Amino acid sequence: MNLRPFDPAFILQVLPELLPYLGVTLWVGFSSIGLGSALGVLLAWARLSRIKIFKLAAGAYTYVLRCTPSIVLLFIVFYGLPRLVEGLLDEQIDDWDRSVFAILTFSLLFGAYISEVFRAAYQAVPRGQYEAAVSIGLSPLEAVLQVVLPQAALVALPNFGNSVINLLKEGALAYTIGLIDFLGKGNLIIAQNYGAYALEIYLAGMLVYWLLNLALEQLFARLEQKLDKGGGLKSGLRAPAGGKTGRKQTLAARLRLSVSLRPKPERKLAQGGEREWN
Amino acid sequence: MELDLEFMYATFFKILAGVSTTLELTALALFLAAPVAFYLAVLRLQGSPVGRGLVRFYVSFVRGTPIVLQILLLYSLLPSLLNTLLKAAGSSFNVFDQINPFWYAVVIFTLNTIALLAEVFRSALLSIPQGQLEAGLSVGLSRLETFLHVIIPQALVVALPSICNITVNLIKGTSLAFLMTVKDVLAIGKIAASFGYNYIESYLDVFVVYIILCTLVQFLYGWLEKRASAFRAARV
Repeated sequence: MNLRPFDPAFILQVLPELLPYLGVTLWVGFSSIGLGSALGVLLAWARLSRIKIFKLAAGAYTYVLRCTPSIVLLFIVFYGLPRLVEGLLDEQIDDWDRSVFAILTFSLLFGAYISEVFRAAYQAVPRGQYEAAVSIGLSPLEAVLQVVLPQAALVALPNFGNSVINLLKEGALAYTIGLIDFLGKGNLIIAQNYGAYALEIYLAGMLVYWLLNLALEQLFARLEQKLDKGGGLKSGLRAPAGGKTGRKQTLAARLRLSVSLRPKPERKLAQGGEREWN
Repeated sequence: MELDLEFMYATFFKILAGVSTTLELTALALFLAAPVAFYLAVLRLQGSPVGRGLVRFYVSFVRGTPIVLQILLLYSLLPSLLNTLLKAAGSSFNVFDQINPFWYAVVIFTLNTIALLAEVFRSALLSIPQGQLEAGLSVGLSRLETFLHVIIPQALVVALPSICNITVNLIKGTSLAFLMTVKDVLAIGKIAASFGYNYIESYLDVFVVYIILCTLVQFLYGWLEKRASAFRAARV
């Protein structure tokens, strides 16, 4: 194997050819995020419900999917689903677009990851908020929709952003089932050149993914800032509204928030450290 | 749909043979990455502005790009790079025949894990009050001793849940090693499947193996966490 000199200019040259296919990648990614979020809401609701079988089923689903490598799930869906459908409905779906299988796989995964985020966020909003809303005459549904969920959404936002970025990175695997997305097209170009330019194309791919993820990180940080200004739970903590009861409540909320958001051992240790000094 | 259960049963034990490769890859990557990651975490907290910038750049780049791409890039770069270097040094060692792709996988997953662990170590170190370091120094321990005997044991307890997450993700991530022709759990399943097109049976086996592996790892970390935090109970 003789070495061809590395050609940085090719990175820029190849981008116009690759970028149109970023659309496929983003389409797969964002439809999975949409469908997965819906699944996540359902799962979180099941986890929090009083009916034991729902709770168990949702817990088991989340546990199993968190233990599964995404590529294994992708292969199972890609090879298994057509056979399952054929057996049950006697219908051939082998020739369906491969993006369908990719979207289905990543929705299943995203649902499992995000349901935990949703559940934690919902539980982070103090019960008193709901009770207060109902006590001033809102119906239970209104109380949840207008009082609890907006606050929970703000709590969930940072973790939601992380999960979105992780999902887009996992989405790069879709080329392994033959989907011609961003990376799939890159591999095609490499094949057309008999294996040459692999380095340049993979580097170009990495740069695009990196920039995309940095942009998303910024977007979520901005979004959080913007939503926070609306007098949500978090900003309420920083500038508590006047009145003794108001202050007490926000302090309690702050306590409960920090309890539910921070990992447990850290808190214990911080307390332990202080105790030692006293 | 009918599953070929006999095939599934036979393949399951074949696949179990690949568990050792998966675990070796995971363990090697973790142990090789840990010291470097710890150094990077300290550098990020106390180093020069240039050092901090470099660590931030590295961590952000690794975390911002898909691991498949990291594998594809390094797997097409490392062998020929190594070959050129050895040729330049006048060695007749044949890189392409004599190096098991397993070692490329070790390098790639180590590089990846370094970035993830550095972040975990950094936040764990941040959770230890500065007074602990000062107290250690004031009773006459050296800086290194204070880190070894006072700070790291405490930081480790904080870091363990995150390290558990990283380990589980690493085990899942090593399934991509089949791209480098490493014979791990997924690769063996894939090969077994391709003889008779029993893809779904084989992948279901792989799926079960990974669930068992992850469960065991999580139990192990649960036990470690209990042991590592024993000092808290003793202190009251």
